[in-house]
Amino acid sequence: MAAKPGSAPVTYSPNLGQKTRPPIFKDNDLDWVRPDGRGFHQCRPAFFRTGAVNSASGSAYAEFGSTKVIVSVFGPRESKKAMMYSDTGRLNCNVSYTTFATPVRGQGSDHKEFSSMLHKALEGAIMLETFPKTTVDVFALVLESGGSDLPVVISCASLALADAGIMMYDLVAAVSVSCLGKNLVIDPVLEEESYQDGSLMLTCMPSRYEVTQLTFTGEWSTPDINEAMQLCLDACNKLGKVMRTCLKEAASGSQE
Amino acid sequence: MVGLSVGEKHFIQGGIAQDLRSDGRKRLTYRPIYVETGVIPQAHGSARVRLGATDVIASVKAELGKPSALQPDKGNIAIYVDCSPTAAPMFEGRGGEELSTELSVALHRCLLGGKSGAGAGIDPTSLVVVEGKVCWDLYIDGLVISSDGNLLDALAAAIKAALSNTGIPKVDVAADATSDEQPEVNISDEEFLQFDTSGIPVIVTLTKVGRHYIVDATSEEESQMSSAVSISVNRKGHICGLTKRGGVGLDPSIILDMISVAKHVSEQLINKLDSEIAAAEASEEES
Repeated sequence: MAAKPGSAPVTYSPNLGQKTRPPIFKDNDLDWVRPDGRGFHQCRPAFFRTGAVNSASGSAYAEFGSTKVIVSVFGPRESKKAMMYSDTGRLNCNVSYTTFATPVRGQGSDHKEFSSMLHKALEGAIMLETFPKTTVDVFALVLESGGSDLPVVISCASLALADAGIMMYDLVAAVSVSCLGKNLVIDPVLEEESYQDGSLMLTCMPSRYEVTQLTFTGEWSTPDINEAMQLCLDACNKLGKVMRTCLKEAASGSQE
Repeated sequence: MVGLSVGEKHFIQGGIAQDLRSDGRKRLTYRPIYVETGVIPQAHGSARVRLGATDVIASVKAELGKPSALQPDKGNIAIYVDCSPTAAPMFEGRGGEELSTELSVALHRCLLGGKSGAGAGIDPTSLVVVEGKVCWDLYIDGLVISSDGNLLDALAAAIKAALSNTGIPKVDVAADATSDEQPEVNISDEEFLQFDTSGIPVIVTLTKVGRHYIVDATSEEESQMSSAVSISVNRKGHICGLTKRGGVGLDPSIILDMISVAKHVSEQLINKLDSEIAAAEASEEES
């Protein structure tokens, strides 16, 4: 993570003039430069800010390069009458894209796949038994899609939950790795994602060292899996620290 | 939901801990698998797979379509799963929708590989008739008839069997087609092309109950799970996809251990499935 804890958060502005098409990967093409000039194992600078929405119980805004996401958390509030009695709380997640989030104008509709992935990534971290009979709504909106959208949404959502004061075992940090040819590229941008041969997304609770969600696509051999998981766990650890700093800053700021 | 008494829950958990499950299986034994192919004559290929009381049908339909502008050298493949209310009353109306989407997404991830098509069980370039103009759109539909756990593994097996059963009609393209027009095609109704299905992975779902994990969980055992990891493995022993279900977190080392167990189990499953598919094909030809 490039954003140093404590220093003023630096946002990263994408260099729009420099849109070179990445050469199609050859097997041993190791001197290839990533579109934004990062190293293969270098994440984009992360920027988090809590309290982005006033009316929500908690909210957070995250910016990773050109990926911009806003998440609001409402509740816990009474579950709908139609729902059956439940002695644990419910978590309702929704991820949607704005119409202008993607390079081609989209429908701006809900993203069912991401919604269920977000739910699965978070439910293990939230102490649902602390708010029985009630529902917590997590609404995520992708303002700009710049690659690795889902991991950013997940990290941002866990920060928003913390901001809302929902009891959690730990923050959830998420990182994805793309496999391009023989190289593993962490935190891929949109361009890299469209060329990827495989991808891995790992969400974990850094202090508990527990994986809450893990997905693979594409063909992976065992050494690659080991390497990619280690990369992700390391990055999650660092990302967790950045998120923690953001929460601490928000808390100390409100006290003054 | 499965309603179980406290005693029954203990019985299931205790059995798993002692490596003897309620139906007499060991932790890493599958239920007997039955494959029937060609069950739906209207489809280009179909198969029914039974795994204990879990019963699923997969059908493959192909239609001529246009490849997307971004990937002119690839055909389109779509996987949909439908959970019929005949399987369980909770699938009625929109109740099955969530499970259907989850299964479709998991199958898509496990069988079709990454965006560039690497690691895909079905080679999308083999579906192209004329590059950038005509290709086959492959619609793979899964139907859950009866559900007794481990739907994902059964569906993946059914899809593999259905694809081995699939014959895509041979297409002749009229030679005089000009460059910007949609070329005329002639679909042969006698000659069919078969897919190479040897690369299609199988999915092994490891369900964690207590401190142990089991394969091929029944729905009663699934109700006791803390988390489940579905791993798709191909014949080469490579992992082609992985999804996790269930909220409880897992230690990274356990996941790596699960992957190696899945690889080991998948070898037997692939061999078993291949021989079942071959037997099913043979009996279909006889009749």
